[in-house]
Amino acid sequence: MGKSVIFNHLTGLHQHIGNWPGKTVEKAEGTLHFKGYTIDIIDLPGIYSLSTFSLEELISREYIAVEKPDLVINVVDASILERNLFFTLQLIELETPLIMALNQIDMAKDKGIEVDHEKLEEALGIPVVPMTAIKGIGVYDLLEKAVDTVEHNGTTQPSPIRYGDEVEARITALVELINTSPGTYPSRYTAIKLLERDEEIQREVTARNPKILSAAQRLAGEIEAIHGHSCLTVVTSERYEVAGCIARDVQKIRPPTKPLLRERLHTYTTHRVLGYPIMLASVLLMFFTVFTVGDFLSGLLGDFFYGWRPAFENLFGGGILGELLWGGVMEGIIAGITVAIPYIAPFYFLLYFLEDSGYLSRIAFLMDQVMHKMGLHGKAFIPLMLGYGCNVPACLGCRIMETERERLLAGFVTTLVPCAAQTVIILGLVGEFVGLEWALAIYGFNLVVIFILGRLAFKIVPGEPTALIMEMNDYRLPHLKTVARQAWFRLEEFIKLALPLIIVGSLIVKLLDVLQLLDYIAGVLSPITVGWLGLPAITGITLIFGVLRKELTLIMLATLLGTTNFAAVLTPTQMIVFTLVTVFYIPCIATIAALVKEYDWKKAIFITMFEIVFAIALGGVAFRLLSMI
Amino acid sequence: MELPLTDLKHGESGTITAIRVHHGHRERHGRRDRGWGLERRLMDMGLTPGITVTVVKSAPFHGPLEVLVRGSRLVLGNGMAKRIFVEVER
Repeated sequence: MGKSVIFNHLTGLHQHIGNWPGKTVEKAEGTLHFKGYTIDIIDLPGIYSLSTFSLEELISREYIAVEKPDLVINVVDASILERNLFFTLQLIELETPLIMALNQIDMAKDKGIEVDHEKLEEALGIPVVPMTAIKGIGVYDLLEKAVDTVEHNGTTQPSPIRYGDEVEARITALVELINTSPGTYPSRYTAIKLLERDEEIQREVTARNPKILSAAQRLAGEIEAIHGHSCLTVVTSERYEVAGCIARDVQKIRPPTKPLLRERLHTYTTHRVLGYPIMLASVLLMFFTVFTVGDFLSGLLGDFFYGWRPAFENLFGGGILGELLWGGVMEGIIAGITVAIPYIAPFYFLLYFLEDSGYLSRIAFLMDQVMHKMGLHGKAFIPLMLGYGCNVPACLGCRIMETERERLLAGFVTTLVPCAAQTVIILGLVGEFVGLEWALAIYGFNLVVIFILGRLAFKIVPGEPTALIMEMNDYRLPHLKTVARQAWFRLEEFIKLALPLIIVGSLIVKLLDVLQLLDYIAGVLSPITVGWLGLPAITGITLIFGVLRKELTLIMLATLLGTTNFAAVLTPTQMIVFTLVTVFYIPCIATIAALVKEYDWKKAIFITMFEIVFAIALGGVAFRLLSMI
Repeated sequence: MELPLTDLKHGESGTITAIRVHHGHRERHGRRDRGWGLERRLMDMGLTPGITVTVVKSAPFHGPLEVLVRGSRLVLGNGMAKRIFVEVER
């Protein structure tokens, strides 16, 4: 809706992105200096309503009620005024100082919608600033009006919503009762939400005075008896009725003279036949771009960093200290930087570009039915796709799912997706030395496993399944600066999360190597690697390295076997088994960290352990089956 | 006549009569869909009784529906659209 574009315009570089305390919902904060004021700006999660349906809505509502900001800026899409007004009306009911940024008036005009903002101002009793944020139009006006509103103490007007008499009478009765023991939320708001049977508000009120709740239940029952619908339905319908009335009153709609390009684009990209090849082509193009750009940058950065090696050795010598520092710390840093920046940065950029343009919601629409087969819905396709690049952002991307349960299910499934590093193994080992058809078969098999395990997890994890429900906004040209900034913040998050772990991990493995414990570990693991999987004993070591970064399994294998001609030392069966195990056996250390961050230790360890056991079991079975061929 | 939203032809409109979330049967563990607040979600998106909904199209193999309601374009999963009942003139 242009919320983040406005936020970026207002705060520029002075931003800080973090999470809401204890929640996996993002919180962006920024500061701004204007007319001698230092203004703190918080980007609240983008939502449609103030019901407690999702974490985002709860956070926004609590923030407004508890922190009592000086002013709330309500960013509204002028081309879908009615739905947006529904939300504005709830903000007005919250009795918070309010100003409306009526955004995207240019796009509304294209659609033939013209909004009389002065009339809207009058109807709502709050300042309304028309804007085209993407072009920077109206930003200054918004700021000026916002400061003006705060200076004049943000006169909160009485809400323009009047419900039907039978509802109003009961709100009034309830308000009187609530006023005897007022709480965090305004009394009228509390009364309305109680009639809607909002569970959060019910809890809050019960703690203060349980009598209020029982009175509310009785009054809501009376309304239900009159209307024959749930009280929630009655109140919501009437609120929408008001929103619709205001919208019709302030906007003039003329059908657009020419069919819009974005409309045609929408028709093609969501077409039941054409939509799929278009989607496939877009995704492939995206991956191709990422890998081309990434490969180039990675080589460049790698050369640059490895160029330091002689200087480094001069400084610390070639002894144990030098080896630990270079092999452990520096190699870790180099690995992190040469992987993270070259591949993940363009990946994020393109992904946010697609999201901002509106294409990702079309993909969710097309893929919903497929995702249902693994117990998820259309939106989960996006983190899943991310997983083919890197599992870490994929895990973090699962935040777009609505409930905790969906987040967990999607997170689990994405850790099974072969990331770019695993692709290197599949193509570099099996594809190169066994045959491309076998490499593709591994991809296919992986998909089958993802479906089966996803389905199983869906059955086992308790809770209600949700379904796809989302708004499909019109296509628009993304605001490149906002896209770049979003990509940058994600990249920063990845580096902070993964880099320290990769460094510590490399250091530990290097230490084991220096202390010559690796052979010992390979011996301990040999019943599994040799006995059950039929692999050479040294693969035990490579699998341990693989925990750091998956492509290390292949690099280490080459180092330990002393050749990159794997066909000379491994049988085709061994190569396939080895690849299968590396694809499934464990989310890499950075992914485990992402799991811990998004869920908790218990779930992260459970997923990790499960995948180790599963991969080993699978590898052993595959070894026996393939040996029979 | 009253039909679930999923039975509408592409391009057809109907007026919402009811959202039957519970559909008679109870979920496992004896809990209903209430935890997710599906009904509330639909209402918040503007799918209230009495409003006109136009089905634009659906994704193949009983995929989600693209609908127009209150001047905006929504996507509704098939399982959810089945529970929305509309009055259609045929």
